[in-house]
Amino acid sequence: MSELIPIILDVSSYILILVLVALGLMIVFGMMGVINMAHGELFMIGAYVMVAAQNLGLPFLAGIILAPIIVGFLGLLIEAALIRHIYLRPLDTILATWGLSIALKQLVVLTFGPESHSVALPVDGSLELGAFSYPLYRLILMAASILLIGGTFWLFTRTDFGLLARAVIARPNTAASLGIDTRRMYRWSFVIGTALAGLAGALVAPIISVDPQMGLGYLVPGFLSILVGGAGPLAGVLVGGAVVGGVNNLLAVWISPVAALITVYIIAILIIRLKPEGIMGGRRAK
Amino acid sequence: MLEIENLAAGYGEALVLRDFSCRIAPGKVTALMGRNGMGKTTLMKTIMGLIRVKSGRIMFDGTAIEKLPTHHISRIGMGYVPQGREIFADFTVAENLRLSLLGHEGGNVLPIEQIYDWFPILKERAEQRAGTFSGGQQQILAIARALIGGPKMLLLDEPTEGIQPSIVHDIGAQLSRIARETGLSILIVEQNVDMVRTLADEVLFMENGAIQERCDIETLRQDDSLLHRYLSV
Amino acid sequence: MRNNLIALLVFAVLAASPVAIGGYWTGQLTAYLVYGLLAMSLSLVWGYGGILCFGQAMFFGIGGYIMAVLTKGMILPELTSSYLGLIAAMAGSALFALALGYFLFAGRGISGAYLAIITLAMALVLERLMNNWYALGGYNGLLNVPPIKLNFFGASFELWDRMPTFYAVLAVVALVYFLVTWLLSSAYGLRLTAIRTHPDRLASLGYNVLTIRLSVFALSAAIAGLAGAIFVTLDGFASPTLIGFTLSTEALIWVAIGGKEMLLAAFLGAILTRTAESWLSEIFGDYWILILGIAFMISVVLLPKGLLATPLEKLTGSKRKKTR
Repeated sequence: MSELIPIILDVSSYILILVLVALGLMIVFGMMGVINMAHGELFMIGAYVMVAAQNLGLPFLAGIILAPIIVGFLGLLIEAALIRHIYLRPLDTILATWGLSIALKQLVVLTFGPESHSVALPVDGSLELGAFSYPLYRLILMAASILLIGGTFWLFTRTDFGLLARAVIARPNTAASLGIDTRRMYRWSFVIGTALAGLAGALVAPIISVDPQMGLGYLVPGFLSILVGGAGPLAGVLVGGAVVGGVNNLLAVWISPVAALITVYIIAILIIRLKPEGIMGGRRAK
Repeated sequence: MLEIENLAAGYGEALVLRDFSCRIAPGKVTALMGRNGMGKTTLMKTIMGLIRVKSGRIMFDGTAIEKLPTHHISRIGMGYVPQGREIFADFTVAENLRLSLLGHEGGNVLPIEQIYDWFPILKERAEQRAGTFSGGQQQILAIARALIGGPKMLLLDEPTEGIQPSIVHDIGAQLSRIARETGLSILIVEQNVDMVRTLADEVLFMENGAIQERCDIETLRQDDSLLHRYLSV
Repeated sequence: MRNNLIALLVFAVLAASPVAIGGYWTGQLTAYLVYGLLAMSLSLVWGYGGILCFGQAMFFGIGGYIMAVLTKGMILPELTSSYLGLIAAMAGSALFALALGYFLFAGRGISGAYLAIITLAMALVLERLMNNWYALGGYNGLLNVPPIKLNFFGASFELWDRMPTFYAVLAVVALVYFLVTWLLSSAYGLRLTAIRTHPDRLASLGYNVLTIRLSVFALSAAIAGLAGAIFVTLDGFASPTLIGFTLSTEALIWVAIGGKEMLLAAFLGAILTRTAESWLSEIFGDYWILILGIAFMISVVLLPKGLLATPLEKLTGSKRKKTR
């Protein structure tokens, strides 16, 4: 039993990070029908903000605060310079953001080099409870992720911003004829989605190796989580993230990482094919 | 109030309206009648900025609106009740109304009490999901949602479509009262002759993307040959 | 058909180019021709068939591995014919595409963005699989793939030297180009256009949308498989990079920059991008990839029909009007 608990905690923390990444993707996809292939790179840049902060001797918390601000601002630039011009061509957004992801990746290679970096843990200790011991930072990471996910849900279900956002998702034309500036909603949702990615990258930076190629490893599972869970209700991301992240991690422990990845992708593809509206329902892609 | 000159608009390459012109007087209820496919809904959507104008101009209360985005047109006082009502079914009644308030923030919005006073059913069922409403109740909600933004003019697209006759009359009477009390201008697209007779001051007949005839409601009450000419299939 | 005239001109220029560019670049250009073939296959399925495939290299890689395994004699030592290898590579890729396509398109099929994500995931799965399939060389791939051996009338000839290989590959590429162009100008091409724009209408006219989709998917896969099979004989090895994600997305960039709705533009897109890459990457170093990414973005946003297709279309379009 006591061997099982760390595994469950590891799996849970992976799922939570995946859900954070997927939430940002889903806000952008659900709201604008835009597939942001550069989302993984925004996550990666969030992690690199931590690397830069460490190199500059800034405290850990400063990096955590700076990452979503910098990445969110980058999101604002991307929306204004790129996405805004192709809202009405959803398939082209895939290609354009793909080009963006290549450019961002290379920009990071040019600035930080192609090698991987590590970020020091801000807290070193472990939580000891009898025979049970678990790194403290991972617990903090989980708590922070839960707070963030909860906060995002709260924003979209309990606030005026959320009401407006859901209205724009459901009936953009009707929302506009009620005086709601849909373009402005798109813009800020995009910024929120990218800032979330940046923050997720920053939070997870101390427990992974930070390198320019790390984005893809989160982008594809993130998307599969959305499609598996269903792109309609927000809760779909939780279910999708649990399925994709859970299966992936458990199989990686019990069989091998390669078998796990192959199995989880195939399971996800099967679910998406057999239930295109996702486990939790919702609309299909445009 | 609303002046449209030489308007051309449509979907993609196909123009539904060509060289359309008309004037809607302030403070009156104007009904737009005509058979299906004559461009009435296209006209409404074009006024709201939901269909791009190819050429021509639309002046609303002294402002050229043909190039403005939809939310801007709404904020300068054009209320719109679309065909099929398009209420937000997953939201509560109160949330549907709140949306419009948020959209017109800082503008000339009406107090919610005023809306509840006009349509008491909305107050009773404020916390109910709008999707559970009957067609007539949804229509009332859609009208209230447009009115709460304090519009100078209201566009109504087939408000009686698929609604019980008893409620049709109630809605007509209530709208007529509101228009008289507040001086609101209304442009209504309608096939239901009773509704037009209850509500309208003036009637325009549309065919092939243009106004063919206009008359006041008294003329129409005495002589329904125009109705036969423009509505019978 | 002014279109064909321009294509003939392009192929004539390519045929004459070894005189000007010398041996090393002729060898490079041979590989670019094969990439051009891959680009054509993607243009066929994406631009004409309306199926955005993010994993086109899957079919390229499958063709390459089949060719390598057969001609190395890993299955039957006495059956190492290049012809058989090429045919098996095309058939194998097409069969895989048929199976995958049936799974994806039958019934309430998958399309658009979902299809892009799923084909991307499939390419990642195959790449991982090949990296760990030790019987097929795993991460290192299969080495010492023999060159193509041509047999006619008892004489046999190995495509080993640069010049003969170049002309043989060019001939195959030109043949495929004109065959596909001919096919697209037939009633089949008309049906493809209809399926791309109004699938529902075509279905209500009694056409089997699934069959047409599957056929274009399989045909495109066969061409990609052929390209992969030729490719492994050029360098003499097959590795997991052929099947995976990077080559898939590179192909996507070539086709998008060239022009997906025009076979010739997609083909030239591959050749020009690769040529530019080998020239400019020397000048710009690591900045080249950055420039490529930005160029890709700009071409998608500003020239959705493609950088090359826009002028090419003007050229052919203006002449077409005169002939009418």
